[in-house]
This record gives sequence, C-alpha cells and structure tokens, in this order.
Amino acid sequence: MNIPKQPFNQKILRYTITFLIVIGSIWSASGLEITTERFLTAPSKLWILISAMFPLDLSEEAFSRIVPKVGESLFIAWAGTVIGAIFSFPVSFLAANNVALNMVSRVTKQILNIIRAFPELILAFVFLPITGLGPLTGTLAVGIHSIGTLGKLSSEVIEGIDEGPLESIKSSGGSKINELLFGVVPQVMPTITSYWLYRFEINLRASAVLGVVGAGGVGAELINQLRFRDFPRAGTVLVVTILMVLIVDTISAAIRKRIIKGREVKV
Amino acid sequence: MKIKVPKKPLPSLLSLVGYPVAILFSVFSFFQIGFNLEDFKRNLANRSIVTDPLFNPKWEWAIENASQALLETIQIAILASILGCFIALPLSFYASRATNQTTITYYIYKSFLNFIRTIPDLFWAMLFTVAVGIGPFAGVLALIMFSMAIMGKLLSETIDSIDLGPLEAAKASGAKHNQAVFSSALPQILPNFTAYFLYIFELCIRASVILGLVGAGGVGRIIETQRIFLRFDRITPIIVLILIAVIAIEQFSVWLRRKIL
Repeated sequence: MNIPKQPFNQKILRYTITFLIVIGSIWSASGLEITTERFLTAPSKLWILISAMFPLDLSEEAFSRIVPKVGESLFIAWAGTVIGAIFSFPVSFLAANNVALNMVSRVTKQILNIIRAFPELILAFVFLPITGLGPLTGTLAVGIHSIGTLGKLSSEVIEGIDEGPLESIKSSGGSKINELLFGVVPQVMPTITSYWLYRFEINLRASAVLGVVGAGGVGAELINQLRFRDFPRAGTVLVVTILMVLIVDTISAAIRKRIIKGREVKV
Repeated sequence: MKIKVPKKPLPSLLSLVGYPVAILFSVFSFFQIGFNLEDFKRNLANRSIVTDPLFNPKWEWAIENASQALLETIQIAILASILGCFIALPLSFYASRATNQTTITYYIYKSFLNFIRTIPDLFWAMLFTVAVGIGPFAGVLALIMFSMAIMGKLLSETIDSIDLGPLEAAKASGAKHNQAVFSSALPQILPNFTAYFLYIFELCIRASVILGLVGAGGVGRIIETQRIFLRFDRITPIIVLILIAVIAIEQFSVWLRRKIL
C-alpha cells in the first residue's frame, strides 16, 4: 500500500516545538532549583494543610468578620465592572476600524493595549497612597483594568458586524449618529452585555485577591489567618469565597446564555 | 395606503426585572465601597507621594536588582504553563461528553476542574507558600493549578464539539475506546491545544509577576519590599521592565500562533 508521506515542513515544526518545550522546562526547573522529589511530596504537603483546616471555624464571630469582607469583594467587582463598561463602551467605537477613522482606531487600540498590560494588583498599589486603604482603591484598579479588556473585546465585536443595516440607514437618509445608534448598537448589544457579565466573573476573582495589598475584599482576611496559622478560620474564608464565586458564576452563566440565545417571539 | 406594521413585542421578563436590579445594585455597590467625592479630592492632594517618584525612576538600581527576579518570573511561567497544560490534556478528555461515556466520572472530572477554577491564582499561591514553604516552587505549583483549570475548561469544551465521525470510524475498524480517542480525537484538537497553550502562557506571565506579593517567588517580591517603603522611584522602572518583557513575549506568541495555525 502506498501511504502518502508527511510533509517535511510539518516534521521540522513538530521537532522544533518538542525541543523548545523540553529545553524550556529543563532550563526553568534548574533555574528555580526544582526537583522531581519536591513535586512528588507537594500533594501530601497540601493535604496536610487542608486537613488542618477541618473542622471549619463555624463560630458566629468568624462569620460576622468574613461575610462582610466577601460582600465587599462582590461590590468591588460589580462597581469595577460598571466603571469598565461605562467607559469602554464609547471607547470601543473609537477603536473599531469599521466605524472610526483608521488613524483614530489604531491609536485607541494601542492605548487600550497599554492599559491592559498593567495587572490589577499593580494598579492597586499605585493608587493605594492616593485613595487610601479600602475598597475604593480596589474598585478603581479593577475598573481601569476592565476598561482595557472590555474595550478590546467590544471593539472586536463591533468590527464583526453585518454592514447591511448601516447601508440601509445611510440610503434612507440617516446620519452617521443614526447609523451607530440604530445600525451598530442593536447588533452588538447582546454580545457586549454578555462580555460585561463575563468580565464581572473574572473581576470577582481579581477583587478577592486585591485584599493582599490592602485594597479591600476578602484577600486580606485569608492572608492574615494564614500568617497567624489559624487554619480553621482560613478554611472558612476559602469555603465562603468558593461558594460565592460558584453561585455568581452559575447565575451569570445562565443570564449570558439567555442573552445570547434571545427570547422566542411569536409573530 | 395603510401599511400594517407588526406590533412591537412587550419587554421580556429578563429586561423588566434585570435592568432595575442591575442599576439598583450598581448604586448600592458604589455606596458600599464608600465612593465619596470630598474624600477623593482631599486624597488627591496627597498624590505627590506617588506621582513625584513615579516620574523620577532609578534605572540602574532596578536593572541591577530586578533582572534576576524577572528571569525567575519568566521561568516560573514557562515551567508552570507547560506542566499545567500537559496535565490538563488527559483530564479534559475525561471531562468531555464526547470522549467519556461514563456519566459519573464525567461529572467528577468536570466539577473537579470547575472547583479548581473558582479559587483565584493568588489564593493558590498563599496556600502553597504555607504548604511547601516560601519561594518560587510555591509559585510554580499555584500557576500549575491556574493553567490546568483554564486549559481544562477550554479544551474540554472544544472536545465536546469535535467531529465524531473519525472516532466512530476508528472504533468500527476495531480500536478500543482509548485507542480511538488517541488516534482520532487527539489530532482534531491539537491545533486548538497549541493556541490555548500560548494564550495560557501569556496569562501565566502576567500572573507570575504578582505572585511575589505573597512570597511565591519572582519579581513581585522586590516590588513588595519597595512598596512597603513607598520607594515608588524604584518601582516604576521595574514595572516598565515587566511591561517590556510581557509585551515582547506576547508579540512572540502572536507570531508563533500565526506560524503554527
């Protein structure tokens, strides 16, 4: 039987990638002084920590400290997402190359890239001396980072629209503003709204972490309990956080599904 | 002539309830985070603490002290994304309906991956610093969990939507289930796997920068110590170095993705 040979290029590519992966991991592992033995003992060490957390600290005092902090994380995430959504929406029109001038779109995209390059935590500790210890700092950090990411995603949605409606508005005498309002916005709104919700889910995880630098939220609680070796209470913090994230994820995923699918309309 | 215009449908339940709830919740959140214009203005007067040194960077100090740590950060990201993604590869076959026929194990693997994903990356880092000690090894483990969860989710959803024909063909010619998956499902998702791997590698580079804030190695350790002393003149150049490294690696990965796919 005559089996066709694999193209030579593909073979070279495959070997190069394998080589890169092997060399990369060996170089990294040796640089960090990581051995197989440390990897093999890691799970049992994690298990010791987790078993130290049970039984969880379910006292009323613990809950009265933890639940407001978890709530704070939720508010930071939501408020940050709102900031990101409000500011990124107009910016995304400027960044989309089919509705804005080519020059404007390119500049806006670069600005969004720069904003996106700063992690929330770094933004948070730059704001910290200005806005003080507290949730406001976290909100600003989450919000500004969200402007970058949402702006990029939304502008990509706008670039992918169907141009037909725009043309029909133009041909029936609509202005440029009319085109945007009645041609672009109705087309992109469902996808962009679902991106907002998706960003909220990501921001929730980010805001939980922000407490590490004192920018509000549940992170401070976890790092303090771990530092004081109060493992049962650290376990409670973890469990409450996980529950909140799971609940929010489930609700938000259901709403996103409904938004994208749309409702059935009887004609 | 009268045109019969169809009636506009009533607003749906979701929008009737959803918009007011969303707006009320936003207002409530802004109250809760204590947004206060007076305080904000007063605090803005303190901005010179940050902004003055921020624009007066100490380059020599940063290059001398942070380049080693920056290298460590990149090594953490490389090792963790490689290990995490390759651990997730078999797991995601078990977490997909297309390649796992046992309902119970499907739900077990699926919820295991979901569970890992709910814990933020820095929480993993904190847990591992306590469990295995402070240092880059804790960071590697944290990012392995992080990349494993993302890869597991993305890849298992891709496997859900593969073409089942080749799988059936392999089985019809006598392959066992595992053989069929290996020879006809795996090649279908390899391009996606590569794309996701590069994407996760970028995420890991970003995430590994901040690991040091909780003592899990990398350049964050230096940022943290300088932050405590409010030496923003030393932090600025480090952040700029990080940005350059992140953007360079991203460009490389975009180039590689275009080359492979």
